Amino acid sequence: MRRTETCGSGRVAHRCGGWSEMSGWISGLGAFLGRSAETTGYGLVLLGRTLFHLPHLLTRRRIRDTLDLCYTYCTGSFTVTAVVALFTGMILALNSGLSLQELGQEALIGRIVAVSLIREMGPFMTALILTASIGSGIAAELGTMKVSEEIDALRIMSISPVRFLILPRIVALTLVTPVLTIFAGLIGILGGMFVAYFQLGVGWMAFQNDGLEFLTQKDVFTGLFKSVVFGVTIATVGCTQGLLTRGGATGVGQAARRAVVVTFLLVIIMGYYITWAVLT
Amino acid sequence: MIRLTNVHKQLGGRKILDGLSLEVKEGETLVILGRSGTGKSVTLRHVIGLLTPDSGQIEVLGEEISQHRPENLRTVRRRIGYLFQDGALLDWLNISDNIGLPLRERREHSEKEIVDRIEEVLVDVELDGHALKLPSEISGGMRKRAGLARALVCHPEIMLHDEPTSGLDPISSSVINRLIMKLKGMGITQMVVTHDMGSAFEVADRIALLHQGTVRALGTSDEIRQSTDPAVQQFIHGIVDGPLAREIREDPDSSKNNESEES
Repeated sequence: MRRTETCGSGRVAHRCGGWSEMSGWISGLGAFLGRSAETTGYGLVLLGRTLFHLPHLLTRRRIRDTLDLCYTYCTGSFTVTAVVALFTGMILALNSGLSLQELGQEALIGRIVAVSLIREMGPFMTALILTASIGSGIAAELGTMKVSEEIDALRIMSISPVRFLILPRIVALTLVTPVLTIFAGLIGILGGMFVAYFQLGVGWMAFQNDGLEFLTQKDVFTGLFKSVVFGVTIATVGCTQGLLTRGGATGVGQAARRAVVVTFLLVIIMGYYITWAVLT
Repeated sequence: MIRLTNVHKQLGGRKILDGLSLEVKEGETLVILGRSGTGKSVTLRHVIGLLTPDSGQIEVLGEEISQHRPENLRTVRRRIGYLFQDGALLDWLNISDNIGLPLRERREHSEKEIVDRIEEVLVDVELDGHALKLPSEISGGMRKRAGLARALVCHPEIMLHDEPTSGLDPISSSVINRLIMKLKGMGITQMVVTHDMGSAFEVADRIALLHQGTVRALGTSDEIRQSTDPAVQQFIHGIVDGPLAREIREDPDSSKNNESEES
């Protein structure tokens, strides 16, 4: 009704309505991009300030806090990582093995499983597991501290939240991610070996020799490098979303959800570009 | 000791403080009253530097802090204690570690000195025997007292209390009031934000009533009791109709005004 009054004829009204919807959509997109840029900037500054505070890690209390977090993060993700890695290796071996069997090349299965898991799948699946289990937890924990004024309390006590809360979390996750990635790779290869031996008839030694022969130092370092980058990313995004939490319980839930979504996207995009940079 | 001069502040497009001017003298206990959304907690957050005014001056302990960067506020904040509504204790640390946190982070005292000081303040707030409990294992009143102990552990010259008795039973409220009186006896300058009229009249040297972001009435407990300002009488007696009733419609929600601006 209002459209007709404003624009006159029905035809013009339709055009005006379309333009109004489009301008609303454009302004919504602009607001979203603005917020995203602001959050990205906040995250990068937070990471920079964490690096600046790195020397403060060398105190007995901070080392103890960081090791406690390493233990918590490891034990919290160990079982799920093992199960996911085992079945990923088995699926990978089965899929590639069946195709290779048709070509009479099933002996090559070792290299496919080993390289895929060490260079790509290991870091990727570990990152996704840590994002869901630890990254969202960090966002929720810090978000709750934010809304219950605990972070303000630290500031008032002249305790830097970056030094006290963020630094140990980022360092702990950066240390834990490569460890869990190596573990996931090894478990995945073991799963692949089982399938190769029991379902495809490839001997243990044939699988192992082919895998080890084909696996290069570059593959291992690529996998490890990715895992370090992913660890920093998961922790930084979790901390950023936690510190930017507003409101009450709903805000905390949104922070955890955003931490998972943003980290998933970043892990996939960065994973591709690291592989691209290494292989080309 | 604390002086706010013509302080203006807008949050979320809404005017919270509108030319607020207030002074707290050394050793004085000033109680701030007012309806929700009138800027009481926002005033305390300006004094501690968690919020920066849009305009106006804030002088605390002889320093003009309104335009200080967070890192420059450290020296002033070290001389101020702040009691949050819910204590704001870290839930993974026990009561003793929560109280000792500011001392341990400053790394200026030996562990023995820190432990002795923790025991001292635990006795002061009547929490001795609960030192090893987690915040989740004690009552709301005990959490507030633990928060107060943490604020007192560094011997502050100024104490800011944000609704120290809200949500407490009358006996727990009396314990908190007694502690505030004890701090007053020690010569600590205090600002107390509260809705609890009994508590206000008990602990205050002077009372300020905030209305629409500015001071509507200021005076001693007796002066406030005998004030002829209808707004003051309405607030003291909790009358629904009157000059303050309009505020409900204008300022429905104050919960979002407590955001810290520090990143």
